[in-house]
Formats: sequence, structure tokens, C-alpha cells
Amino acid sequence: MRNNITVEKILLEFDPVAQNLLLALKKISKNFGYICEKDSQKIAEYFEFPITKIYETASFYDLVETKKPANLEIKVCSGGDCNLGQSTNVIREIENHFRIRVGDKFNPKVRLKKISCLGRCGDGPIVIVNRKVYERVTASSIYKIFAEWI
Amino acid sequence: MKDIKILTNYWGKINPLKIEDYLGVGGYSALKKFIEKMNQQKALGEIKSSSLCGRGGAGFPTGQKWEVVAKNSIKEKYFICNFDESEPGTYKDRMIVENNPHLLLEGIIIAALTIGAKKAYVYINGNYETQKDILENAILEAQKNKFLGEKILGSKYFLEIEIFSGAGAYICGEETALINSIEGNRGEPKIRPPYPTEKGLFGKPTVINNAETVANIPFIIQNGGKKYAAIGSKNSPGTKIFILGGAVKNKGVIEAPTGITIREAIETLGRGLPRGKDFWFAQVGGASGRLATEKELDEKLDYGKNNNIPLGSGTILVVDKSINIYDLLLSWTGFFRRESCGKCIPCREGTFRLNEIIERLADGEISQRDKEAMQDILWTLESTTFCPLGKFAAVATRDAVDKLEILKD
Repeated sequence: MRNNITVEKILLEFDPVAQNLLLALKKISKNFGYICEKDSQKIAEYFEFPITKIYETASFYDLVETKKPANLEIKVCSGGDCNLGQSTNVIREIENHFRIRVGDKFNPKVRLKKISCLGRCGDGPIVIVNRKVYERVTASSIYKIFAEWI
Repeated sequence: MKDIKILTNYWGKINPLKIEDYLGVGGYSALKKFIEKMNQQKALGEIKSSSLCGRGGAGFPTGQKWEVVAKNSIKEKYFICNFDESEPGTYKDRMIVENNPHLLLEGIIIAALTIGAKKAYVYINGNYETQKDILENAILEAQKNKFLGEKILGSKYFLEIEIFSGAGAYICGEETALINSIEGNRGEPKIRPPYPTEKGLFGKPTVINNAETVANIPFIIQNGGKKYAAIGSKNSPGTKIFILGGAVKNKGVIEAPTGITIREAIETLGRGLPRGKDFWFAQVGGASGRLATEKELDEKLDYGKNNNIPLGSGTILVVDKSINIYDLLLSWTGFFRRESCGKCIPCREGTFRLNEIIERLADGEISQRDKEAMQDILWTLESTTFCPLGKFAAVATRDAVDKLEILKD
């Protein structure tokens, strides 16, 4: 795919020991957007684990995706600090704009998710669109952000 | 006494990417002192006499933890610096690394050498990518200057530090879950005992300390435990980084001695509420923190066992009366619903149903049955869950029910 990076190339960067599994999964997920079944088969063979173990670990963590992401993946922080900075208004505005609800998976093109704190409190509300982080987002400034992506 | 700074001393004055700056302000002199003039027992004694306690939230005495591992005769031991920090509203450790990574590194080196570990891990939050780069750079520079690697400063000591980046799971801040995560498993907590100090990482004795705790260690070694014990409150001395957020004029990270009251923290450190905002309550300790109303503002902020308002991670979120409480409740319960690891049923189902009931409450559709069920769920979370996450999930909602009377009428 991008820059001819393949799963095999990424895997070869890591020694096949259990403590590198999560790091490898993270890197593959970051490069390809998610980990598909074929890839997990390759990872399983490389680490000599059953494929269930790969999925078991991969499905647990937020930074490892096991499902194909939507074209426009919007994540809004809902931590206390962002919340006092009116992140709920941002969520409502996005919901109304795309006619979606937080957390539902009916629209294959746009998905909106609430996420937990990223440790960037103080610069909130935080919105992540397709892995790019935006700080101090308001209900009116989201349109400028979406203009970059649509 | 009030302006004493241990951790934030050189913030903004030194370049985090240059070790020369840190050496220029007397950095790594604690490590030199440890290697030239002290031995492991003496360093352990200093830590014990300082009564330093864990800054992650539980406040367990660091000296005790170290002693168990240091006395163990097994050769393979590990030291882990817990830099996971995913409690909402908490970003003190991130600021330590952004401003003075070598302070943390020096602490890790001394800690690992004292307990006799040859390998130390830094478990860093997966979202902290720039901070990881800063830390990696710091480790390289320390190696160049012989503070790390083989024969540290010409002595017999040996230490290797590895950064392990997490993948965005709140529960991995719990020490047994953190160990599971490094071992490549799901980040689910394990039953304790055996404690990690006996059987930790790869089944070997392990000390896990929060990053802020570790950053205190160079000062203690340099100035002695007694001097440290004289700062701040008696039962948990030292300074603490407070993170002020919400309706205060001066938001951000401020260091102050432990034992100050919540009112002092808000009025003095935070310079009070902005004009036109009415104080309602303050949440101390992140999403799992208790709510302090007006009459509890004189509670002390330290790690005393009988505190009504536990200090937790040191976050103080000030909420004024213009805030919609249902938004906050949804934020808290939604957070724990997402972050519950799913190992035990009380927590997995309890956090889920609690969030659902709060959603109905926010929509104004709550029934009498929901109110009763909510009390049941809160009790179950508080009393029966496997790890502390379940208890934390109930804390803020319980306080909202009891103190703010959200269920009334």
C-alpha cells in the first residue's frame, strides 16, 4: 500500500516474543487503518500464537482497530475537562450535520465516537478526525475542520 | 515553605531535549551521590525515612514497596515506571516529561539500582507520541553520558531502560493489568495476592511506581529523607502536582505541598473563580474522584487514610452552577462503560446499565424502577467488583445522588 509497506516488513522489525505483540499490532493498525483477518493470520504465524490470541489482544485496545474504519472517522473527547468546555455541543452539532448518532454504525461513510481522555486536557475540547488531532474545537469551528476532509 | 518546588523547579528554564541544560542546574548529582557515597540499603533507608507515598492515587508507601523487592534474593527483578496516566483531566506526568525528562530518568535509574533491577520499563500512554520521542532522546543522551547502560559512572551497576508504549486502555494503569499488557495479553487485572512485588512482570519481583513518585526520588537522595519528610502534611509529606481545570482563572499544573485545603487550592493556586461564575462543587481526583461541595472545601488534600475526599491523581475540576450536570454524569459513566475491561460481570454490566439509566435521566424519562435499580447497581459496583475500577465507577455518581440530589423530584 502506502510506501510499499507490507505487514511482513513491519513484522520483521519485531522479535517474535510475546512482549512485542502489542507493539506490532499497534504499528500495523496505524499503517493500514485496521487489522484484517488475513493480516492477523500472518501475525499469528510469525509470533507462533493461535489466531484467537491475536484477536484477543487486538480487540482489547483502543489504538488497535479490528474493523475497517469509515471514510470520515470522527472522535470527540468526552472527559470532564473537555465536557466543561462544551464538547457536548460539538457532538450535537456533528450529529445534526451528518444526521448520525454517537456510536451507531449505520452510516458507512461517517462515524462519530466518544473517546476517553487523551491527556490533552486544558487544550480541549479535543476532536480527532481520521487520526488528526484538533484542539480547542467549538460547535462552529467544526465546519472548517470538515472542509479539510470532504 | 509554601513555594517549595521539587518537580517543577526548572520548568521552562531548561531545554528538555538537551542534557547539558539539566546537568547545568545540578542534574544527575543525586545519581552521582548514590553511586559514590551510598549503597542500596542506605538509599532505601532514605526513601523510607522520607515517607514518600505513591502519587498515582492509592498513596502506598514507596519505601515499603521497594523493601519487599530489594530483600528478595532472586537476581532477575524489574522496575516499571507507570506513565500510563489516562485518568480524565490528569496530565501531570506528561508535563514532567515535556519540561524535564531527565528528572524522571534520574529517578528511574536510582530506583532501579536501589531495588537491584537490571532492566526498567517505562509504560507510556499510547497517545503520548511526542512525549515518547522526548523520552527516547533523553535515554540516548543519558547513555552517551554514562548514566545508563553498562558500568554506570564507572561503577559495577548496569541498567537498561525500555519504553513500552501502551495502546489506549485506562485499566492498564492498574499494575497487574499493566503487567499483562507488557506481556502481550489483554490488559485485564489479575487477582492479588501474589502482589507484583512478589510475582510481577514475567513472574519476577517487580516494583511499579507512578512517574510523579519517581520524579521525587532525586531530591530525596540529594537532600536526605528527613528534609523531604518536613515538607507538607505529616502522613504523606512532600509536594504534589495539582491539576486545576474547569471554572478557575488559573488553569493548569501547579506544584504545592501536600496538606493544603481544597479551598486554598482553588483560591490561591487557581486564583478563584472567574467573574460571574458561582461555585457548585469540585471534583477531586479525575473521573473517579469524589465531589466536594461548599462545606467540604476545608478538607485537606493529602493521602491520609481517613480523608473524606481522597486526593487521587491530584486533579481538581471546579464546576460552576452554569454547567449541565447531566452532561458531566454522562461523561463519567460513559467513560467507565467504555473502559471497563469486561473481566467481571458486576463491573461490565454495572457500568453499562448505570450509563443507560443516566441517559434516561438526562432525557427526563427516568422511572421509579430505574431509581431503585440505580441504588442496587451502585451498591454492587462499590462492593463486589474484581478490581478498583468498579468502585471508582460508582464514586462520582454516588456523590451526585447523595450530595447533589439528582434523583430528587
